[in-house]
Amino acid sequence: MVDSNKILIVDDDEDILSTFYEFFNSLGYEVKTAEDGLEALKLLKDKSNFFDCLITDLVMPNISGVGLISIVKKEYPDLKIIAMTGYGDQPGALASEAKADFVFFKPVELFKIENKVSELINHKNDKQ
Amino acid sequence: MTTTPLIGVSKSILKIKELIKHVANTCLNVLITGETGVGKEVVAQNLYAESARSSQNFVKINCAALPETLLESELYGYEKGAFTGAHKKRPGKFQTADKGVLFLDEIGDMPMALQSKMLHVLQSGEFSPLGSDQEYKTDVWVIAATNHNLEESMKKKMFREDLFYRLNIIKIDIPPLRKRKEDIPSLIEYYFRLYKLEYPDNKGTRPDSDILAKLCNYSWPGNVRQLQNCIKKQMILNSWEKIFEELTQEHPEIAPPILKENQQNGTQVYINQEFSNARTSIISEFVDLSTSSDKLFEDLSLKKIKKMASDKVEKEVIAFVLEKVGWNRSRASKILKISYKTLLYKMNEFKVHPPA
Repeated sequence: MVDSNKILIVDDDEDILSTFYEFFNSLGYEVKTAEDGLEALKLLKDKSNFFDCLITDLVMPNISGVGLISIVKKEYPDLKIIAMTGYGDQPGALASEAKADFVFFKPVELFKIENKVSELINHKNDKQ
Repeated sequence: MTTTPLIGVSKSILKIKELIKHVANTCLNVLITGETGVGKEVVAQNLYAESARSSQNFVKINCAALPETLLESELYGYEKGAFTGAHKKRPGKFQTADKGVLFLDEIGDMPMALQSKMLHVLQSGEFSPLGSDQEYKTDVWVIAATNHNLEESMKKKMFREDLFYRLNIIKIDIPPLRKRKEDIPSLIEYYFRLYKLEYPDNKGTRPDSDILAKLCNYSWPGNVRQLQNCIKKQMILNSWEKIFEELTQEHPEIAPPILKENQQNGTQVYINQEFSNARTSIISEFVDLSTSSDKLFEDLSLKKIKKMASDKVEKEVIAFVLEKVGWNRSRASKILKISYKTLLYKMNEFKVHPPA
């Protein structure tokens, strides 16, 4: 059996987290969630090299999405990152500067995100 | 620099401590928020102490305490002859903090013009001193703090959105003491021991359980700094009764400190500081505070300032009323309760003219 792809979703909105969880879970992904950047960072440290892709909101308490992306790209350079923001251009531009692999502006369709996730993961696997 | 430890057992303080450990070596910009007296500088010091930069400088600047031009020259330094009085070259805080930490206190009070310059430095890591064409590279870890709600300031166009998001990479919000009462006993114990060491002869006693309960139930509008001052006072007065008397007189109910009027009492330094910032900005509208005190006192005249201030307000009121009545001068003079002639005279004096 092929291993399922593992993703970590970070958002301070519980509703968004549960929607994403259900959606990706139903498509066969192994999903973990975190409510802010610090929780996400702790999960990543506990399970280094476990995740294939990180999907993160940008404006959050404590470690923002931009902060999380900067730290993760340094410590786990192979992990693919998708950023999502509903706060206009500024956070999105900062996420790109922090080298997020892709930035979505909310509202965004879940299928579009899933397409991007699978594209990034496949691309990564092809390279290896 | 001795670092004050972050004292507390509440969930929020424990989370802040954990956060500090995780981000101290990232050098990502930090924004610390919270009411006056909650300990924003203590958090900044702890970040610095835990980081690999702790052997370098920790440089602090208060963005609310200085008039715009002075703040600019303090931050970026200047070349000899950059302005009148610049007799020799002087390095700015960005230079002295190189490889270390630059703590920008009261960032919410930074004037707009300096905000854009700050944004440029944060984006490029480069700055040029006043009067210089040369760009210098700087490697500072910027930690900023404010008691303002910057989201509100952005809506009012008083704080740049792009600067906010660039600073807000790591956000540390310190709740007021009234929302983390469980921290009060350990804070009391900490400051009690500290002052006992500093003043071993003092007779001040610790609070008994009744007093402790009262202290925990008080609203502490001045937060940790106010509590700290109370303990210091207890060391001298040794009377919790008197201390409570003063507390209830000063702050009969829960109210943010800014609403309280200026008080001359020694324990109210935290309030006075806020008022002194507001005061400086009001005065600097009419007097150039960046000059030396001799020159400043020469220029200062209450009569002159009174005239300037009242002219400023009169002009605004006259323009406001005229605009409201569609520049009908006769109606405006009736509303303002002055004669038609006086209105014409004042319009001329203040150069209030209808739009062309």
